[in-house]
Amino acid sequence: MWKTVLRRVLIMIPEVIVLSVLVFLLAKAMPGDPFTGSIGPHTSAAQIHQLKVQAGLYNPWYQQYWNWVVHLFHGNLGTSFQYQEPVTRIIGERAINTVWLALFTMVLTYAIAIPMGLYAGRHQNHIGDNIIRVYTFVTMAIPPFVILLIALWIFGYVLGWAPTTGSVSATASGTMGTVLSRLQHIILPGLVASLTGTVNIVQYLRSEVIDAKHSDYVRTARSKGVPTTNVFRHHILRNSLLPIAAFAGYSITGLLGGSVVTEMIFSYPGMGLLFLNSISYRDYTVITALVLLYGLLNLLGTLLSDIILTAVDPRVRVQ
Amino acid sequence: MKKSKLALAGVAALSVVTLAACSNGSSSSSQPTTAVKMPQSYSGSGKIDQNGTIKAAEVNDAPFKGLTDEALISNAEDSDVFGPGLQGLFNTDKNYNYKDGGPANIKLSRAAKTLTITLRSNLKWSDGSPVTAKDVEYAYEVLGNKDSTSQQFSANLEKIKGMTAYHQGKSSTISGIEMPNGEKGKKVVIHYTAVNPSMTHSGNGFVWEYAEPYEHIKNVPIKKLASSSEERKTPLFYGPYKLKKVVEGESTSWVRNPYYWGKKANAKAVTINVVSTSAAASAFKSHKYDFTVGIQGIANSQYPNVKKLSDYTNVGTPQLGYGYLGFMVGHMDSKTGSNVMDKSSKVANKSLRQAMAYAMNTDAVEKKFGNGLGKRATTLIPSGFSQYHDKSAKGYPLNIKKANKLLDDAGYKKKGKWRQTPDGKKLVLHFAAMKSGTTHEQTIQNYLQQWHKIGLDVQLTGGKTMEMNAFYDAIQAPKPPKNVDFFEAAWSTGTEPTPTMYTADAPFNMGHFVSKENTDLINNINNQKAFKDSYRKTQFNKWQEYMNQQAAYVPESETLTWTPVNHRVKNFTYSPAHNNTAWAEYGVTSSNPK
Repeated sequence: MWKTVLRRVLIMIPEVIVLSVLVFLLAKAMPGDPFTGSIGPHTSAAQIHQLKVQAGLYNPWYQQYWNWVVHLFHGNLGTSFQYQEPVTRIIGERAINTVWLALFTMVLTYAIAIPMGLYAGRHQNHIGDNIIRVYTFVTMAIPPFVILLIALWIFGYVLGWAPTTGSVSATASGTMGTVLSRLQHIILPGLVASLTGTVNIVQYLRSEVIDAKHSDYVRTARSKGVPTTNVFRHHILRNSLLPIAAFAGYSITGLLGGSVVTEMIFSYPGMGLLFLNSISYRDYTVITALVLLYGLLNLLGTLLSDIILTAVDPRVRVQ
Repeated sequence: MKKSKLALAGVAALSVVTLAACSNGSSSSSQPTTAVKMPQSYSGSGKIDQNGTIKAAEVNDAPFKGLTDEALISNAEDSDVFGPGLQGLFNTDKNYNYKDGGPANIKLSRAAKTLTITLRSNLKWSDGSPVTAKDVEYAYEVLGNKDSTSQQFSANLEKIKGMTAYHQGKSSTISGIEMPNGEKGKKVVIHYTAVNPSMTHSGNGFVWEYAEPYEHIKNVPIKKLASSSEERKTPLFYGPYKLKKVVEGESTSWVRNPYYWGKKANAKAVTINVVSTSAAASAFKSHKYDFTVGIQGIANSQYPNVKKLSDYTNVGTPQLGYGYLGFMVGHMDSKTGSNVMDKSSKVANKSLRQAMAYAMNTDAVEKKFGNGLGKRATTLIPSGFSQYHDKSAKGYPLNIKKANKLLDDAGYKKKGKWRQTPDGKKLVLHFAAMKSGTTHEQTIQNYLQQWHKIGLDVQLTGGKTMEMNAFYDAIQAPKPPKNVDFFEAAWSTGTEPTPTMYTADAPFNMGHFVSKENTDLINNINNQKAFKDSYRKTQFNKWQEYMNQQAAYVPESETLTWTPVNHRVKNFTYSPAHNNTAWAEYGVTSSNPK
């Protein structure tokens, strides 16, 4: 097992190198640069040229790439053109916001989806199952941004139950006050995101349970007189959760991904919005750092998922 | 999926057809106005609550960057959210001319070619330390330093004696900036190689209108100033408020600056929150905010949702900018850095350009898609400059008949559906337009339709509107790409209207229009005779008339800067005469927006 993990980690090294070259080249291949559109009544073309020279934007790509790699090994991901701050500091600030929201959303998503999926599967075609199915179809049919806007309007603006913008109140003070304010700010976006996020898990789990109910091992258990509750708890539940477990690794590493739509609507400065804006503004240093980070997280997510699957399913043994 | 796309296309097409049906082929209006009229100020009623908190919104889909210093800021949102502390050194009158009575006075000496800045004796930073001559001088050092990350350094600043040597690193000081009473004094004399009339207007680019807290930041290398905690966490201001807290990218909160030079600010505190464009109208409907800050407030497309809000009055003023069409009539000679006209350009013929301008349906487009907040621009000096905008200019109102005649007379004969060049060749014109909102797509489609109406085969570059970076890459190329014959763009003039963008060596003269007459007229606007304002106004008018007649750049549209203002607010104004001290004057009469 540990050998396998080590081997997988070693394989990741060339993968990350190739990824970084590709990312760097693709970022440079996009039209424009960080100074595109910097036009004002007194903007000096010579000054913009000088700033580009300072930033090394006229150097050949391989030289820019090498400089970037050297800096990377010194823990320096460069300075954002847009923010004029070290990239590590910006990502650090945004990552905190994103993790708060994503963790809350993930916990809530699983807390809602697993009982719902199990209930719907167990009570197939009963009224409860029908209600859950209607809920999933309706939620799936409406684009998430519409749900987010409606929720913001009703709970944020009309009822005034939740903050409508940002990750923390401008007037929050003290550690406790800040933490409470942060929690308040993630409740509405987190709740809505989790309600829309449950759909796939509920449907997946429901069909897994229904499949499992008709499998041979369940029939055998029933014929041996095992009580229904025990059949569900010990036989169906564990097997039905396998696909969910397989995705758990991605979910954990995906915590840093952020959600562009949620962040934009709630003016919540997270990683998703940072990534989108850095692409729009050709903020190369941020783009390359984020893509590399996401690439690494994806590779780790795959590994983590395999490990989790191995742990929960005795049939799967990684050699 | 396919169906929804078709439906959308159908809606767009329908809008365009409906719009075309509304037009009658000619327009008699000579001076367009916005259909919506808004007051420039809202004075409010009731007694100001000295313990009140102003709640303002910065409408933006991106978090602000957190730079607190105008010398380093390169975007509007940072200026907006740090506005309560960021005050300019000089007050202005309603025409943006410098006026005494602000944090500092400024005096121009034509004979000595100097500008003398005199700081108020009681002008202090928000930590209580005095604002000194060195603080004014150091701002020029920050701007001009060879390692500076500022984008604000301009050719105009190089007119300060010794600035070029300092900028190139050949000198450690700027020889043309003198502090007669020493660094701790209150007077700064700036020596220029030449002075001109624009120097008496705010936003001229020759004078930097902010100071830097030298003692506070002197130990931070200029190169690292932008990322320093002195700049981001503990900045100093001499405006009416001092920063209490900044939540990165989301909000700023302010309290009264106890050391403010003027009458103490009317509100006890201010909070400014970033609100997304999609949520802004709802936020105002639920009375969350008092007003928006900055030029870019609630999107014009959202205006119908907030135009009749109870307890709010919409306040607006013409934006100092305009949309325009630029024709690629030349190229930039990279060796000399000068624009050169090309006789072989497809749009070199003036009649063709004029005809295209007359075919545009801008009045109807602005009324329909601008929700009445925009209007057709008639000259390249925005109407917001009441001192210099030529009110008699008609611009290019819709006149299909005239457009056809111009083309016929110039020899652009029709062969089948489309016109050919005067020498009988196929004529296809490529139009570069930037991707923007839905209504902009409809506007572009309408323009294409209008040009097709006069027999011109105009196609969008690449078949669609362009992403911002690709667009600027195309139109800023020294030699225009083959698939760009003309483009649509917008220009913000700042508060001093000298048309620097259109000079022979201007890098943003992206259509590359050059003529001796144009150069002479622009020079006349700022020659020594132009210190007499009537002369300057005449030159501005002559230039506007000349540029309209040449139609190398066609003024397209102007719009309003506007915001709903809650009725608990007092003294809200967009007036240039109050701009610099506006934050100190704003007040509220109750604890929450009505």
